[in-house]
Amino acid sequence: MKNTIKKYAAILSMGLVFGSCDEAFLNKTDPTVLVAENFYQSETQVIQAVNGVYGQLRPLHLNQWQYTEFMSDNTTLHFNPGNRGSGPSLEALEFWQYNPATPNITNLYNSTYGVMVNVNTTLSKLPEANATESIKSRSEGELKFIRAYLYFHLVQHFGDIILITEPVASPAEAFTYDRQSVEAAYQLIIEDLSFAIAALPVSHDADQVGRATKGAALSLLGKVHLTKKEYPQAIAALNQVLPLGYDLLPDYADVFDPQNKNHQESVFEIQYQGDNQYGVNSNFIYTFAPRESNGAVIDFPGQEGGGWNTPTLDIINSYEEGDLRKEVSLNEGYTNLAGVFVPVPYINKYNHPHQIRGITNDNWPVIRYSDVLLMLAEALNEANGPSGEAYGYLNEVRERADLDPLEGLSKDAFREAVLHERRIELAFENHRWFDLKRTKTTTELVNFLNDYGLRERANPTTSREGIPFSGNDFIFEAHEVLFPIPQDQIRINPSLQQNEGY
Amino acid sequence: MKKNYHSILFGIRLPLVLLMLFLGFTGQAQELSQVSGKVLSAEDAEPLPGVSILVQGTTRGTVTNMDGDFTIQAAAGEVLSASFIGFETTQITLSSGQTVYEITMEPALGDLGEVVVMGYGSQRRADITSAVSVINMENIGDVPTTNVSRLLQGQAAGVQVRQITGRPGQEMEVTIRGIGSLGAGSQPLYVVDGFPIGTSLGQNLNPADIESMTVLKDAASTAIYGARGSNGVILITTKSAKEGVVGLDFVVNHGVQNVPDGRRTKMMNGPEFAQFKHDSFVDRIRYFEQREPDLEEIPMEFRFPEQTSISTDWFQEIMNQNARFQNYNATLTAGKGDVRSLVSVGYINQEGAVIETGFERFNVRANVDGKINDFISMGWNIAASHSREDYASTEGRDALIGRALWADPRYPVYNEDGSFNDYIGGTNGVFGTANVVQELHEMERTLTENNILTNGFIEISFLKDFKFRSSVNAILENTAQKEFRPSTLAGTGFNQAPPREARLFQRSFESLNIAADQLLSYNKIFNEHKLEALLGFSAQEETNKFLSGNGNDFPNDVVRYLNAAIQQTSGSGEYDWSLMAYFARLNYSISDKYLFSASMRREGSSRFGANNKWGNFPAASVGWRVSEESFMPQTNWITDLKLRGSFGITGNNAIGNYSSLSNMRISNYVLGSTIANGQILSNFANANLGWEQSQQLDIGLDLAMFENRLILTAEYYNRLTNDMLLSVEMPVISGFTQSLDNVGQVQNRGLELALDYQTRINQLNLRSNINLTINRNKVLEIRGENDEIWSGGFYSVYNVSKVGRPLAMLHGFKMEGIFDTEEEIDAWPTQDGAIPGTYKYFDANGDGEISYDQQDMIEIGNPHPDFIVGYTLGGDFRNFDFNLMFTGAFNYDVMRNIEATTMNMDGVFNILQSGVNRWRSAENPGDGRGATTNTWKWQRESNSRYIYDASHVWLRNITLGYTIPQNTIVPNARVFFSAENPFLFSSFPGTNPEANRRGGINIGVDDEAYPMPRTFTLGATVRF
Repeated sequence: MKNTIKKYAAILSMGLVFGSCDEAFLNKTDPTVLVAENFYQSETQVIQAVNGVYGQLRPLHLNQWQYTEFMSDNTTLHFNPGNRGSGPSLEALEFWQYNPATPNITNLYNSTYGVMVNVNTTLSKLPEANATESIKSRSEGELKFIRAYLYFHLVQHFGDIILITEPVASPAEAFTYDRQSVEAAYQLIIEDLSFAIAALPVSHDADQVGRATKGAALSLLGKVHLTKKEYPQAIAALNQVLPLGYDLLPDYADVFDPQNKNHQESVFEIQYQGDNQYGVNSNFIYTFAPRESNGAVIDFPGQEGGGWNTPTLDIINSYEEGDLRKEVSLNEGYTNLAGVFVPVPYINKYNHPHQIRGITNDNWPVIRYSDVLLMLAEALNEANGPSGEAYGYLNEVRERADLDPLEGLSKDAFREAVLHERRIELAFENHRWFDLKRTKTTTELVNFLNDYGLRERANPTTSREGIPFSGNDFIFEAHEVLFPIPQDQIRINPSLQQNEGY
Repeated sequence: MKKNYHSILFGIRLPLVLLMLFLGFTGQAQELSQVSGKVLSAEDAEPLPGVSILVQGTTRGTVTNMDGDFTIQAAAGEVLSASFIGFETTQITLSSGQTVYEITMEPALGDLGEVVVMGYGSQRRADITSAVSVINMENIGDVPTTNVSRLLQGQAAGVQVRQITGRPGQEMEVTIRGIGSLGAGSQPLYVVDGFPIGTSLGQNLNPADIESMTVLKDAASTAIYGARGSNGVILITTKSAKEGVVGLDFVVNHGVQNVPDGRRTKMMNGPEFAQFKHDSFVDRIRYFEQREPDLEEIPMEFRFPEQTSISTDWFQEIMNQNARFQNYNATLTAGKGDVRSLVSVGYINQEGAVIETGFERFNVRANVDGKINDFISMGWNIAASHSREDYASTEGRDALIGRALWADPRYPVYNEDGSFNDYIGGTNGVFGTANVVQELHEMERTLTENNILTNGFIEISFLKDFKFRSSVNAILENTAQKEFRPSTLAGTGFNQAPPREARLFQRSFESLNIAADQLLSYNKIFNEHKLEALLGFSAQEETNKFLSGNGNDFPNDVVRYLNAAIQQTSGSGEYDWSLMAYFARLNYSISDKYLFSASMRREGSSRFGANNKWGNFPAASVGWRVSEESFMPQTNWITDLKLRGSFGITGNNAIGNYSSLSNMRISNYVLGSTIANGQILSNFANANLGWEQSQQLDIGLDLAMFENRLILTAEYYNRLTNDMLLSVEMPVISGFTQSLDNVGQVQNRGLELALDYQTRINQLNLRSNINLTINRNKVLEIRGENDEIWSGGFYSVYNVSKVGRPLAMLHGFKMEGIFDTEEEIDAWPTQDGAIPGTYKYFDANGDGEISYDQQDMIEIGNPHPDFIVGYTLGGDFRNFDFNLMFTGAFNYDVMRNIEATTMNMDGVFNILQSGVNRWRSAENPGDGRGATTNTWKWQRESNSRYIYDASHVWLRNITLGYTIPQNTIVPNARVFFSAENPFLFSSFPGTNPEANRRGGINIGVDDEAYPMPRTFTLGATVRF
């Protein structure tokens, strides 16, 4: 208060003597936030900067289904002939009609690099920060794990990508970066993960649970090698996960229960919190529930869902008889308030009671132990054929679902069995699209998807209310294996090469 | 829900009337004799009726009758003053013994001697060398308005004033000499009694308190406000007591407002909508399944459209067709003695044309100034206001007006038991929405504002020619906002049936703006040389703070405070800015013939980067009064001729307060089931961010003819805005898609013409003003060549600024008609989803495909008028007076974006009544505007289908007045009738061709807004 009075007195008297003013009068900073220049200095600030990066993973994973599950044969949409609002841009992904202007692809690209700048800035400031070595090392491990995870997704979606590992100093500098080869991207990813494996602990104290661990980095490294078809390295990395204390939960439903977050089966999951308005919540069921469910699926009066990421007839029919996972993962319809059954399926994994409309408590599973087991089974089969060890991991997962163990399969049949098992076990957890890309050649993938597309066109999962498909809906072309680089980026920097076919 | 102060005021009315009567009689209390006389025009010796006769220094006054005669009570030695529009005020001193006088009045020599308020000073009009428009307050009429910005409408060339909505209390949108900036604002700077209050007038100045307004347009006049001069400056001076005049003025104005039929959008009624839905089911089966539908395939509610019994016109239901307007003002002036004072109080109450909305305000003002001795004078103005608005969310498709248009008409407002029908639509694809009438009644939405504006000065004269003036200005503003949405209402989105969790939002805001100026001036006349010099220093700072809270889910709808909410969140914040400037100005003239002026301002702003805080803003102007030259023939028809030119540089800092800095922002995470604070970068830093600058050249001509009966002002200007403050795209690998930078150049060139004419035909005095503005705008450069900026959205409207074109041109698909047959579709470039009856679009890039992105979008409309016009015709005849004011804008386009909803054939919205003429078949193609009901793509995207020519002429105001002949009760009174916005002449199908909700460079878009009412009032002014 005293200061304020002094300040006003200063303004009033200023210039009574001309020029006696103080330059400080013109130096204003936003009092409600910290200035970046002065940040990244203390240990607390380093920790906050790393937390901020984790925080950016929250919104990223609210939309991740669009680029993975939704593009695959696992889910479709409940066509809405009325509301063409955000519909068409999302439908472009489902129907493989995307082009360089598709807004959702731009969103993916932009938001990924939007995390990267914070990863890189924090990494560049770490050496000078006034923090203990253990915090610095842990932070570097976490940041590199996240960088590897994001680039791994980006390289699978876009092919050659711009690899940026430092903050740019000026807008002009940002124009000097060019796309680099897929191989270079994987090299960076593997380097980052190797660092993270060494730097990250097996587990964190109870109040730090949610941070990346050694197990997460090893599992991701295993997946990277699996994707690169480097099976011995994949097996080596994944084998190191086995002794870290993970195990399958006896009941599949418990895996997704928000009362049971970060359980023994969870290797890495995105943390959300509901039942409060602090803005760190998830809302998956609001996107996934049927459009006209009117409170019958989400227990709030009049509440509708988005009608997106709808389980296809294809996946519903591919469940084996008696599979306990089916009713946990999906519902084939719902009974509306008038007591009539409406056959619009929806994902049930992330449907849990919550107190505030629109705010859910569900975490998003990124890596689960069953994923590790199935990857190991896949890698072992690819390396040496269906060994007893490989059957062991596959059947461990099947056993929990109350399914009979498999035996006596050829190498190819075993590969198909693992792919099928992954589809069911990891249903609606954003694995399917990359699983298909990993296990099939481009030609196989094109045929596979077009077959699925023909089935879906002939017999859509949900009613289209008389509106036919457009000619190009569900026609998958080879170049669509990769997303286009967003149009805006090439428009402002024409030296960037577009992916073939776009 | 509405509370009203009017009832409190009602109690005051009677005492007010008594007070008026009392004051009326006190004037007669003195012992005086009767004086009579006649007033004649010196020109033709005709008697002058309606001349005000005042005994100077008293409240005694009268008006001459039809024959120019008057009688008044006065004593010998007193001075009679006769004043009349168009004539020089004439004074005579009464001598003892003489009781009859003849007063002859000379026609006024016009405004050349008039002193005009300029930046940091004033100047004789004849001496002005820059482009300045003085608003003639007399031409405005008795307009029923709450906002001072209305007074600028149609009055000055180069000044575009748009009334973008009819919301009570709405400030108008003022643009001077075109949009000069792509990124920073284009609003002018408002200066009230020397205090630069910012780029908005706010709602707290009382129009009745305004004495004069000056618009500074060219760089020579605005550069002295360097920092914020680029978009022009409007100087407003409030009334003060006139020397020697003591008086009390009352103004009462009462009226009603309503929205005329022609300003309403006509939607389908119940049966028409049911028929439309019926057809959409039939059409779909016929086309896609190639068969005739069974009756059962059409939902029951649409099966027999003609049996639809309910037909609600939602727009009509939310109209208040008898909305009251009331305005009271009382002004006491005391101009005798060394200290002069003025006190005014005002109250205004404007009910909205939409039910349950309205605006009311109290104003008080005291302006005092006086001389302490021959060397020191002081003055202090203080104005306070309290306003309250019951508002509603009315702008855009999903707000009240939009929803009143598209809501299903087959639902009643009320249930049979009289309760509200709380959910409208929501069946068979029609979007469900809240009942708009219920929402207006049950939602609580108020905004209150307390505002104190004050400024004081002390002026010291020394060494004969020097003056030092120190002034301090401050505005203190507090606002409180409250919005409560009870649980009984459906949600704000589509298909959100009630009940919902009740929601509360409350916000309080406080702002303090304080400025101090120190001015040293030197004025000297020696022989034919006249010199005026000014040195100044100015500092200003504004601090804003807010505290807000949200409540969600209330146990009941009765207790509407945050404490009652089950979920609560809150927030607070603060932001500030500062400016500091040194300036100097020199005016020099020789023989009143050759006029020179130069000024310089060096200014620093807290908003810019560390490296570029300071800017220099020089300007110079010259004038030549040709008519003073000896070679000019001394004709009687040229009274004055002046040529002038100016050039200068001004600045613009209308960007965010901390845009040059990179800040951290919150990005929290959850660790160990507790929330962990996280911080990330919010933007890209640019320490080099600096001033946006405008260079402006102005050439002007002032011509006065026939003894100032005809005054012509013509201007040409060329204004180049450089180093625009613009968000520039950058590769997103930097982490951000944009950074704020100084790039590009925009040009505004134009012509302005203003013509004043006054004449007298017998007893009819006529005056008229026409002003014409032609502005041409062009983007000369952005970052590189062929660069363009797209703002807006694919499912909305794109405004595109391209190098070489005017800025913010409307872009979209170009509609080329409707496909009638499959053959036409096959012959056309590939257009996904096209069937007979849907729109066909132009393949702009010629690649054989209409791509569903920006590639085939082209320029489809120009939102900049070719020219705008203001016209005023006023006059008086005996005791009657009148004033008419027109505004017009010609040849420009507006996109009726609301039609992307109200002509949306999805069947989710009610549609325009004209939709009955939609396409049905190749044989029955309709009016070519409505597509088939099968359309589900190619109708919401930015496209030429919604572009309309918005050329228009508004008759803005008609005022008719009658001056009551003098009588013993009211010495000086006038009654008037005023009609505001009575007639609109336009082919534009929307309700307001000036609609412009989005602002900035997203111009020319009509999203449907608060409807524009017309207002009829009856009022009276009484002077004692």
